This record gives sequence, C-alpha cells and structure tokens, in this order.
Amino acid sequence: MNRPPTWMHIKIQGEHRGFGLWLPLFLLLPLALVVLIILSPLILIGVIILWPSGRGKRALFVLRAAYQVFCSLRGLKIDIQGRHQSVYISVV
Amino acid sequence: MAENRKKILEMLADKKISVDDAYRLLSAIDSTESGQESTPKTETAGKVKPKYLRVTVLPDPEHEHSQNVDRVNVRVPMSLIRAGIKLTSLIPPEARDKVNGALREKGIGFDVRNMKPEDIEELIGALSDLEVDVVSAKGEKVKVFVE
Repeated sequence: MNRPPTWMHIKIQGEHRGFGLWLPLFLLLPLALVVLIILSPLILIGVIILWPSGRGKRALFVLRAAYQVFCSLRGLKIDIQGRHQSVYISVV
Repeated sequence: MAENRKKILEMLADKKISVDDAYRLLSAIDSTESGQESTPKTETAGKVKPKYLRVTVLPDPEHEHSQNVDRVNVRVPMSLIRAGIKLTSLIPPEARDKVNGALREKGIGFDVRNMKPEDIEELIGALSDLEVDVVSAKGEKVKVFVE
C-alpha cells in the first residue's frame, strides 16, 4: 500500500479573485484516528447490529477501503483552466 | 513445427537419416522454438508498469497562448483506479443488480460481480497500450494516455 499523502494544494482562481490553500493532510491522520477511537464504540455496536445481515463485515471493509483510497490519492493532479476560472488540485 | 518433427521421424522410420541426425534436427527445432517463445516474454518483462492515467485537453495551437481558451490536464494515479475498482466488491448485491441494469440500458453487457482482483491487474496492464488522440473541429486536442 502507498504511503498516505502529506499535502493537498488547492488553487481556485475566479475572474476577479481567487485563493490558494495548502492542506496539511498529515495532520488529518492523527485527527481521524482520534475521531475513530471516540466513535469506535458506536461503530462496534453498528457492526454487531448489522452482522447478521452480512453488512457488518462490509462496513469494516469500507473503513479499510476508505483508507486505501486516501493513500492512493498521492500523485493526483487536476488542472482545469477555463476562460474565466481555473481550478488546480494537487495531492503530494 | 509439429510437421517438421513428424517429417524427421518419418525420415528416421524410412531409414533416410540416422538416429544421430534425427536427434540433431529435433534439437535444432527445440532451440528455435524456445528462442521464439523467449522473445515476447522479454518484451513483457521490459514493459514499464503504468503509474498514471493522463487526460489532457489542449487548445488549437494557433490560440495556445491566448487566455481565452480552455485547458485540462488531469493525472490520476493507477493506484487510485485500482482502489476504486476494488471498491466494487463492497457494493451490496441489490445495488450491483441495479448497476448491471443501468449498464445494460447503456448497451454495456458487463457484470460488476465478475470483477476480480486478478482482472484488475490485467486491465491495468492492458492500459499501458492505451492512447486516445482526438482533434475536434475547433482544433482542440484531447489526449488520453498512460505514463
């Protein structure tokens, strides 16, 4: 699995004004971990309730898959320049 | 090649050639065959694994330096495509039927239930040969390729 991305660069330029943002994704991971730990009892209850229907296992896989998708974002680059607007997103 | 072997054996049976000659001829055929087989293998091994899927839309070269044109440059990591395809296994069965139905309506006879991890690798490997190059009537160039 890839290493999780560290920064996300977002730049949106309008006709008159725009903004640029460097998002520190590496700070999001500890934050997400804390949220996960806080919510873990609720997640556990949800998984136990959903287990007989077979969706509990799937819910656990979703968490893993979401992390995999997050890690795969490294290297993504979107650069769209219109006549009056431009959007630039880069994940490094 | 099987015909050549048969001919050699027939010549040996007719005593037109000796056992040693037959052995030598068969060995020569073997070495030729292994040489032919090894060539595509080497080509496959030399193939670089694609890392990114690129989509670019470039304006007409005459207006390239103008600010009044649209430009698109998208680079999607293959690992993201791989992770996305893997997510299809998490689609609930009832939703899969709906997805299949929607695809059928669009004329795509594809069953998402048949997607397996080994197919993903094969699909991504096959993408290395992909190159779409379209020039619109306005002169815009659309390119889809892997790198």
